[in-house]
Amino acid sequence: MRIYHLKLVITGLLTFLAIVICFSLSAGQYDLGFMQVVAWGFHQLGIPVLNDLSITPQQEAVLLYIRAPRTVVGLLVGAGLAASGAVLQGLFSNPLADPGIIGVSSGATLGAVTAICLGINAVSMFGLPLFAFVGAITAVSLTIGLSARNGRIPVLTLLLAGVVVGMLFSAVTAALLTVMDDHKVQQYLFWTIGSLDYRRWEHVLMGVVPISMGIIIMLLMARHLNILALGEAEAKAVGMPVAKYRLILLAVAALTTASSVCISGSIGFVGLIIPHMMRILVGPNHRHLLPASILAGAVFLVFCDSIGRTILTNTEINVGIMTAVLGTPYFLFLLRKHTDLQ
Amino acid sequence: MKELLKVDNITTGYEDNKILTDISFSVNKGEFLGIIGKNGAGKSTLLKALRGFLPVKQGSIRLFDRELSEYQQWELAAKIAYLQQQIELTFDYTARDMVLAGRYPYMKWYEQPGEKDIEITEACMKYTGVLELADTPIRAMSGGQRQRVLLAKILAQQTPVLFLDEPAAGLDLFYQEEIFRFCQEMCSRGKTVIMVVHELNLAARYCSRVMLINNGNIIADDVPQSVLTDQLLTKAYGVDIRSLINPETGHADIFTVPTKLDANKQQLLDIIVGMDENGAEGNGES
Repeated sequence: MRIYHLKLVITGLLTFLAIVICFSLSAGQYDLGFMQVVAWGFHQLGIPVLNDLSITPQQEAVLLYIRAPRTVVGLLVGAGLAASGAVLQGLFSNPLADPGIIGVSSGATLGAVTAICLGINAVSMFGLPLFAFVGAITAVSLTIGLSARNGRIPVLTLLLAGVVVGMLFSAVTAALLTVMDDHKVQQYLFWTIGSLDYRRWEHVLMGVVPISMGIIIMLLMARHLNILALGEAEAKAVGMPVAKYRLILLAVAALTTASSVCISGSIGFVGLIIPHMMRILVGPNHRHLLPASILAGAVFLVFCDSIGRTILTNTEINVGIMTAVLGTPYFLFLLRKHTDLQ
Repeated sequence: MKELLKVDNITTGYEDNKILTDISFSVNKGEFLGIIGKNGAGKSTLLKALRGFLPVKQGSIRLFDRELSEYQQWELAAKIAYLQQQIELTFDYTARDMVLAGRYPYMKWYEQPGEKDIEITEACMKYTGVLELADTPIRAMSGGQRQRVLLAKILAQQTPVLFLDEPAAGLDLFYQEEIFRFCQEMCSRGKTVIMVVHELNLAARYCSRVMLINNGNIIADDVPQSVLTDQLLTKAYGVDIRSLINPETGHADIFTVPTKLDANKQQLLDIIVGMDENGAEGNGES
């Protein structure tokens, strides 16, 4: 396996990030050129270049109040999901683990459905995210509670508990759906696909603190994650209190994912494929893998969202669909490669 | 000599299954203790109990004159390094990543590996001869190279005591002997080694002391020439074993005495290899 130099990968990702941000700010129904956005960016930094490409006040309003918050939400969610995915894959020593595996997604979905069912989302824009968050945390706590025994959290039990809790929450969700009005079911469907449409600065405010805190803690814990990924026996042999660190990392990954899901809806594949791709590029050392995954997750999600906005002329494709469309072929490829090895 | 580890009357095992009962012994600084016995005798269980991985139901284990249970996890990891029987890796960690794990007990939770850690890591890899392989994934290595990396890892832990659980299993003659020689060097520099061993000839040559375990009890514990005898080994392993002094090496050579197949086995073998009653080989066309 080729391990590329970390600095090269990070530099490349930062370049992509800048391009994708400008692309996302310029993509959409309202006409705003890519170079205009670049020029605007330079002017904001006080660099007087591309002076003939200034933008109108209307264009600036679209950029600042519609596209910028949407882009920032995309960056946060992409980074948060990818980092959580990398952490969970390391924690479970399983390259196919993703944030859905500990019940976060099904918990958030049940929370969201409850909010829609009770009509809370119509009362306040914070209602649904809050319910989704509470649902996600409840599901994860239940998963951990079910699997913890004598101060230990065995990985296999945790995986099984996650699956069972996921099934339970999905069943309750299904039950609620059968008694809901059609228009509410439609709202639910819209939420499950995951979208960055109509995201405002309020959404950014809701997510920015928990997601960035989560990411910072995960980065600080990268070294511990390396030890955990060597297996429980190996971790104990070098003196790590395994259960404690497992719990901390699970909680941080769950909170970060829940915060991401509650501002963007359920978005699949980012947490699964991004850490995978980055592991191929920079190796499994989490001190390299996490920063690379965070950047790549942000780039990938904002890229998918921008493509979804521009690929069709009169409508938008939700980002949740784009990540799945681009993610599925890769996932199948991985699955094949995985079975070939066995 | 200073008493470093003192085991007093311990009983231990898994859940309700007692594997070792009333075990007592002590180990001094600089000893190279080989634990031998047949499969399932309780050798690895003993090593795990001594490292604090298994609950001790009765008795006490004292390390450096302090109860094992009083140590913090990281404190224990700074006293005893442990090389496990086998390690399965999911990801392609490199030798460098693995050896650096040995420095874990010396870092606070928020600290990152510093220059000193890297210096020690590289010295250990150089000593065990894997520095050129530092950036190679462990999963791509041969069994011998892998074991050298793991030796470097337990060295990087800089502990006074080393535990090795069947470190030579599955290795060729060259690597097997290398591991024993390496442990002997460590002991001559004041470290203490306790190793679970199946290679009795190497134990005879390199260990300073051998402990023979049978059915969860210590049945002999002394210098190799007193433990590796026909009588004791035959009793412990349940097969006829001879131990002769090799004039080349001056150490015991241990081998089993071939036993004749009984009639029952002979018949079964006929079925397996496909001989008919007349003793002719069947060709499947009759």
